[in-house]
Parts: sequence; C-alpha cells; structure tokens
Amino acid sequence: MQVSVKLFGGLRQYLPTGSAFNSCVLTVPDDSILTDVLSLLPIPEDKAFIALLNDVKLDKEAYADTLVSASDAIVLLPPIKGG
Amino acid sequence: MSWHKQILRVNLTEGSCKIEPLNMEWANDYLGQRGLGSKYLFEEMDPSADALSPENKVIFATGPVTGTLASTSGRYSVITKGALTDAIACSNSGGKFGAELKFAGYDLLIIEGESEKPVYLHIEDDKVELCDASEVWGKTVWETEAILGKKYSDPLMRFASIGQAGENLCRYACVVNDLHRAAGRSGVGTIMGAKKIKTIAVRGTKGVKSPDPAGFFKLATEVNARMNDRDEMSRDGTLPMIDVTNSFGALPTRNNRSVRFEGTEKINAEAMHTPNANGHTNIVTNGACFGCTIGCGRICKIDPTHFSIKDKPQYHGASGGLEYETAYALGAACGVDDIDAATYVGFLCNEYGMDPISLGGTIAAAMELFDIGAISEKDTGGIKLEFGSAEALCAIGEITARNEGFGADIAMGSKRLCEKYGHPDLSMSVKGQEFAAYDGRGMQGMGLAYATSNRGACHLRADPYEHDFESTDVEGKALVVRDSQNEVAFIDSSGLCLFPGGCGWTINDYLELVNASCETEWTVDDVQTVGERIWNIERLFNIKAGLGRKDDTLPKRILEEPADVGTAKGLVCKLGDMLPEYYQLRGWNEEGEPTADTMNRLGL
Ligand code: SF4
Repeated sequence: MQVSVKLFGGLRQYLPTGSAFNSCVLTVPDDSILTDVLSLLPIPEDKAFIALLNDVKLDKEAYADTLVSASDAIVLLPPIKGG
Repeated sequence: MSWHKQILRVNLTEGSCKIEPLNMEWANDYLGQRGLGSKYLFEEMDPSADALSPENKVIFATGPVTGTLASTSGRYSVITKGALTDAIACSNSGGKFGAELKFAGYDLLIIEGESEKPVYLHIEDDKVELCDASEVWGKTVWETEAILGKKYSDPLMRFASIGQAGENLCRYACVVNDLHRAAGRSGVGTIMGAKKIKTIAVRGTKGVKSPDPAGFFKLATEVNARMNDRDEMSRDGTLPMIDVTNSFGALPTRNNRSVRFEGTEKINAEAMHTPNANGHTNIVTNGACFGCTIGCGRICKIDPTHFSIKDKPQYHGASGGLEYETAYALGAACGVDDIDAATYVGFLCNEYGMDPISLGGTIAAAMELFDIGAISEKDTGGIKLEFGSAEALCAIGEITARNEGFGADIAMGSKRLCEKYGHPDLSMSVKGQEFAAYDGRGMQGMGLAYATSNRGACHLRADPYEHDFESTDVEGKALVVRDSQNEVAFIDSSGLCLFPGGCGWTINDYLELVNASCETEWTVDDVQTVGERIWNIERLFNIKAGLGRKDDTLPKRILEEPADVGTAKGLVCKLGDMLPEYYQLRGWNEEGEPTADTMNRLGL
C-alpha cells in the first residue's frame, strides 16, 4: 500500500529526492507499523521529532504498536521554538 | 567590563540633556536591557500614573553584550508603562540602532517629561541636542530616516522613530529602527508620541571596550561555532512554525474561532519562495541585525501587479517581509491567505509604526464583530469587513495607519474596540495585548505564559514550546513556564537575541558571553535568580499600577470553547489547574503578590 507522510521545518531535508515541498508517498507492505514507515526516511537516530497520526500525537514507544493504513495522515514535526 | 557606566537623561519638559553615572549595583542585580530598564522605571516613576502623562518615562536600554563581537549582539529594549496595556512594557528590537547607542557611550537613555513642540534627539558621542522636529513630524518612519539621513549625511547614523501612528496615539504604535526592525509591542511608540519626541538619531564612535579583547574574540568565535543548526532559520526565518502549529492545531485562526487555517500553504515559507502565476517571487533575500550570524530577517517584494500596490510605485521595492507572527496576524487571524496583501500591510506597519500583531488581532476582532452584526458597513465607512477579505485587510490597514474614520477605532486595540461595541469577550487579548500566534488550548503552557506575562499576551516571555508539543497534559507546565520565564528575562537583559536558542545555543553559551562582558562568574543558578528578580520587579510595578490576579486570565473563548481540530480537539485551556501551582512556585500569595520571604530572598 501507499502512505503519505508530511514533514515540516528542518525535517524536510529527509524527504526522498523528487518529493513535493513537504510531503512524500511511501510504498510499504499492508499491515505495516509506523516504525516500518519511518525506517524508509533517513532521519538520524538522535534527531528529535513529534509524530502525529490523524491529529493524535504518538509517544515514541507506541510507534511499534501502531498499524498504519493507506488513508492515515502521518505528520512529522520538528521540536522548534517560537518567534 | 563592557559597560560604559553612563546613562543619558533627557528631560523634554525642561529641554535638558544630562550625562549621569550608571547605577552599577543595579546593573549587577538586574543585568541590562529589560532588567535594568525595569528597575530604573520602577524606582523613578509612580506606576499608577497615566501611561500617556508626562510622569511616564521611556527608557532605551542596551545590555552588557550589546555592540560586542558576539553573534546577535545588536539588541536593545524600550521600557515604559505601555499605552496598550497600562502595565509595564518592554519591547525588544534588533537592527543596528542599539549597538550605535552603545558606541556613542551610553548604556541607557532615559526620556522623561513632555515637550511642548515636536522634537527629535540628535546624539553624536558626547554632543547631544534636542532639535525642532517640524521637518519630520507628520512623516512616516521611512521619510524621517531619509530626511534626517540626508541632513546629517552620515550613512552610519541610526534612527529609532515613530511614524504617524505614534503621533496619533494609536495604542499599539511601535518604535521602528533601521526601517524595518521594531520595538513592537504594548504601545511603546505611543508614549514617544505623547511626549512629542519623533526620533532618536544616533552616531557613536567610541565602540565597546571588552576587559580582554583577544579573549573575548576567541570566545565569541567558539560560541558562534556552537550555533550549529541555523541553516533553516537563515533560509526561512521564523515562518516554518506556521506549518507546525497548523498541523498541531494551535494556529489561532479567524479570531481564535479555529486552531487550523486552511490557507496556510499560501502564506508559509514555501509560498514565500515559490513564483506566483506572474512569475513573481515574494522573498528577495534574508537580512541580519548587527553582528548576527543567523539572519532570520525576510526582505521581500510585493507583486507589483497586486491590487494593493499596483498604482503605488513607492511599495514596489524590497523591504521587511512576513515573519511567523505577521503571517499569523495579517493572515490566519483574519482568515486571509493572500501573501501579497499581508506583506503590504506589514510594510504599512513598518512605515507608519504599528505593531502588526496587535493590528492583525484587532482587525480579526473587528471582522468577528462584523460577522455577528455588532458593526456594519455604516461603522466601517463602507468596508465589507469579512473574514478572508484581503481587500478589507488592506483598506483597514491604510485607514488605521492614517487614523481616518473607522481606523481610529481599530487604533484603540481589540480590548477597547470590543468594549465599545458591546462584546468585550471577543478581544483575544491578555491585559489588553493581543495574542501572538499560539492558541492556549493546543498549547496549554503557552496559555499559562500568556495569562501571567507581565506585558500582556506574549510568546516571547516564556519557552514552553517543547513541553507543549510533547503533551497537552498540564502536569509540569507551571514549572516549565516559571523557569523559562526567568531564563528568558535573563537573556532579554543581556544584549543578545533569543533566537540562537533555537539554533544550537544553550543557556551556558549565553552565560559565557555575559560573564566575559561583565567580569562575573555567574552560574546557571544565578541565571534563575537574576531572571526571577527581573520578573518580580515587573510584577511589583504592575501591582502598584493596579493589576493583580484578576488580570492573569484568558478570554472566555480559550477557557470555555473547546478547540475544534488537532491534538487539542475538545480541549479548553486548563488555566485554573495551573495558576495556583504557578503562584506557589513563584513564592506569591493567592492574590499573586510576592510574599515577604520572596521579597527578602531576591533583595527587593
Ligand atoms: S536571529 Fe534574527 S532577530 Fe535575532 S539578531 Fe539575528 S536577524 Fe536579528
């Protein structure tokens, strides 16, 4: 299946080449978990981010238990400060 | 020590200018800029005096690091009793003016009294004079800089001015320096207007003496190298935040009716970089304040065919463009997704000297009043003030800048406007100051930070961002808000910018630069103590001005109407769960007043 992921701010540098401004479509097997989706993006281990799945913020520990489906909205946000 | 140990005191009633020694004991207790200026204001004026009266003072304060080789060391603050809030006001600006004031030999400039006729202050090192301002009174900030720049023919002379908004006592007039950098919030420019002082023109050649120039150069270079995450801010400024708050559900939209704006992608960083249908690109380049190695400023051009400026060639050039706060206030808050319209009204704010956050927030409130029928086209002079209307945004921006017709109502700020038209709850403000670009339901810590901010709603008085994006649970927020308020108060008093904190610096980096400038050995604990002392002196000023617990609150909408989408869908701001703990952590009683123990501990 194909899932769409949006990355904002400095995380955009980890989008696959040829992606739109802030989003990409990734192909993963059916029954994939969020960890599988994230593993397709070259985000370094120590880079902090916040993951939202359909407007709900997920704890890091929950990534491996979260099944994703093609209709899900996955958003990754950098922990930036305000201005 | 990087202080000149001198202040310049200008009495407009007497027409006198005097040089006095800086109170070094206070500089040691309160650092510089915001802290020191607040201490002087607290000691020198009756906080209950009318903000627009001659009893009020305006203090331009530099910090110990201002004007040094450290990155982002161009900061100065304007401290006064705010015209918008009737509370203590401290607005911080960058550009090159602050460093120039320091180079002229002054750590602080105190302006008191009130002039009979419009004047401006001309400073060239020790030569200080009050001059007749009739040639620039009634002119814009940009015209003022051009006229006086030509008169003195010194390209290094710097100006901090008010535009017509300040002269007309618009409640959120700002002080603009270097054409598009501003001490923007709380109506600090209004006080200059009330005192009839148009501009400070300054040129300094004394520099800043470091106790150990070679050592400071080495340190500044090392600390600069630690700012290792700045590329995005150089490229996009503060704008990337709009995608974050929008996705998260914390972007105040249409006067906080919603927390997500469907037009975000038309006013975000990418929109700024992408050519429109005419091939016009909004951004031209980035810009930096004195000594800054980030350069978050946006230098932008409006599409010359855009309706707002097609017959106005004076706006066809490049000037200060949208940042996150302006994109919110002149965009999402009004439901407007037209980047050129928002950029144009931003230009007007710089040109006429208005705070774009309060202008946008007040227009948003007026749009809601129009929407519910509390005002009509009869009130607005025929302007169809509908949410989403770029034409209405531009038209209202113009008449407010010139104080014409309904613009005089908009110039009062949202609190006074909504009271006048019978719907005080529709003002999205705290202590009379309009919200910044974060909603206190999606970001609960920010809700507490807004409610307790001494200068009214403000996003730069605390740093709850990380905690808020982590969780909407209120547990732990009171502590995060208190500690970060203290830390920010320290940084705001140093002469350095807050933004390196988002680009790799920690508080230790700031501390090293401050210690080297002040010849101190302060630790992170001292940062908290100095910051806490500053926070409390501001609080004491406000208490004497008549403010208290009743003012540490949020609009009904944020406390009672649940957020419509995003991570906080269904949530209101749980301020009542956080405020008592916050008071306790601050060492304040239930009325929000510092206890005797707290006063003694801080030497107040
Ligand atoms: S980061 Fe931005 S606001 Fe701060 S000093 Fe640099 S250019 Fe000015």
